[in-house]
Parts: sequence; structure tokens; C-alpha cells
Amino acid sequence: MAANLDGMSFRLVIPSQTRYLNLVTNLAKRASATVGLDDATAAKVSIAVDEAVTNIILHAYQNDPNQSVEVELRFASNSLEVHLWHTGQGLREDQITLPDPSEYIRRPRKGGLGLLLMSRFMDEVHYLKNGDRNECCMIKRLG
Amino acid sequence: MADLSIQVRELDGVSVIEPSGFINAHTVKHFESALEDLVKIGHYNILLNCVKLNYISSAGLGAIMGQIETIRKNGGDIMLSNLRESVFTIFDTLGFTQLYQVFEQEESALSAFASIRRS
Repeated sequence: MAANLDGMSFRLVIPSQTRYLNLVTNLAKRASATVGLDDATAAKVSIAVDEAVTNIILHAYQNDPNQSVEVELRFASNSLEVHLWHTGQGLREDQITLPDPSEYIRRPRKGGLGLLLMSRFMDEVHYLKNGDRNECCMIKRLG
Repeated sequence: MADLSIQVRELDGVSVIEPSGFINAHTVKHFESALEDLVKIGHYNILLNCVKLNYISSAGLGAIMGQIETIRKNGGDIMLSNLRESVFTIFDTLGFTQLYQVFEQEESALSAFASIRRS
């Protein structure tokens, strides 16, 4: 049964190192289950978070292990929101071209698949900038 | 417990890779090395048995893409078996189920490799 967490949120700050990915993805999975998402959907949220944090570590921070990623999970009445903040190189929504899966099948290549998973597994993905802080915001609607 | 352990066994001329744990940007080098080691010694028939794989991110799928051209040029292939639902969804969402043959059980995949060798 879903817990009533409407309006609640919690934050976690991790070093920009891939060794912490599992910690964050497990947290996202547990949070998804707590708000009543089924196992399959919780797994999708977890993978989307893995991909988003990986992008920040590898691309925004270019693998600099001395930076940090701030993760916030917000429980709204009709959605679970995942907010990720960093101070590395930010992505702009108008810079993003998602791979076309049918084209990808004809000409397979590496790269871009993480963004595609994020967009397919979450209901909304936004990239925002506030001063020197960049944010990736992902929303999964409940029900 | 390790984040990822990989067992490789030879069965009927097929190299069966069985990853246990999860494959993401942190563990992908280990998985990539296992694939590369097989390709280096000319083992081009590879079955990825995912029975113990909890999840795979795009980093892991990239590792497979990185080897498939060489493998197929040499007459081999990578097949997949025993995918749990969440892992299948990831492969399917990215179109990998159209690029690779997927089997419910390892035995069926081994039979498919045997059929290819006979043809």
C-alpha cells in the first residue's frame, strides 16, 4: 500500500563517482515502491536515474571525481519527481536530439541511448539552469 | 558482495557469459573486458545468459554494440537468454530485440547456434 508522502522530499549529495550509482538507483527504486508504483515501473525509474546521474558524472563533470551531485526526491500527490543538480557542463533541451530507434537499428552506434531511456521511462524530462547550477528534472506520474 | 561478477563457460562451441549483479557505468569495464577477451581469442559465438542480471544500463548495451561488428564479420553472433522482465524492457525499448535473437532459455539459444553452424 502506498504511503502518504504528499509534499515530502529528501535530499542526498553524492561525490561525482560512478561507485555511488547503485546507492542512488536503489533509493529511487525504493521511493517508487513507496509511492505505489509497481515493480516494473520502479525499475524504469531506477534506470532513468542511473542514466541521468551517469550523464552528469561522465559528461557534465567529464569524470572529475571531486565534484558532487545533489539528488532530491519529491513526493507530490500525483507524481514522483527526481531532481538532480550539478555545477558541470549543463545540457539544454534544444541541444538534445534523441536517437530514432528505427534508424538506430539500421545503423547501430554507441551513444545517446541513455537519454532515450530517460525519455521513454519517465513522463517528463527537463533540463534547467539557475545561475551556475544545472538541473535535470524527471517526473513520473502516479496512476 | 561484488557489484558484478562474470562467469564464462564453453558449451557446445558457444561461449556462455553469465553476469551476476548489475551492469552500469561503474561495472561496465568488467563486462567489456569479458567480451573483448573472447573476441581476442576468436570465440565469436557468444550467448549472454542474463538469469542473474539485475539490471543493465545503456553503458552495458554500448559494450555489446562495441563488439558486434567484429563478431558478425567473423561469422559469429551474440544471442541473449533468460532475461528478466525489467532487463528485457531495456533491450526492447532500445530496439535491441530486433538486433539480437532473444530466447527464454539457454538451451534454445544453444540450439539456434547449432542450427546456424549446420546451415
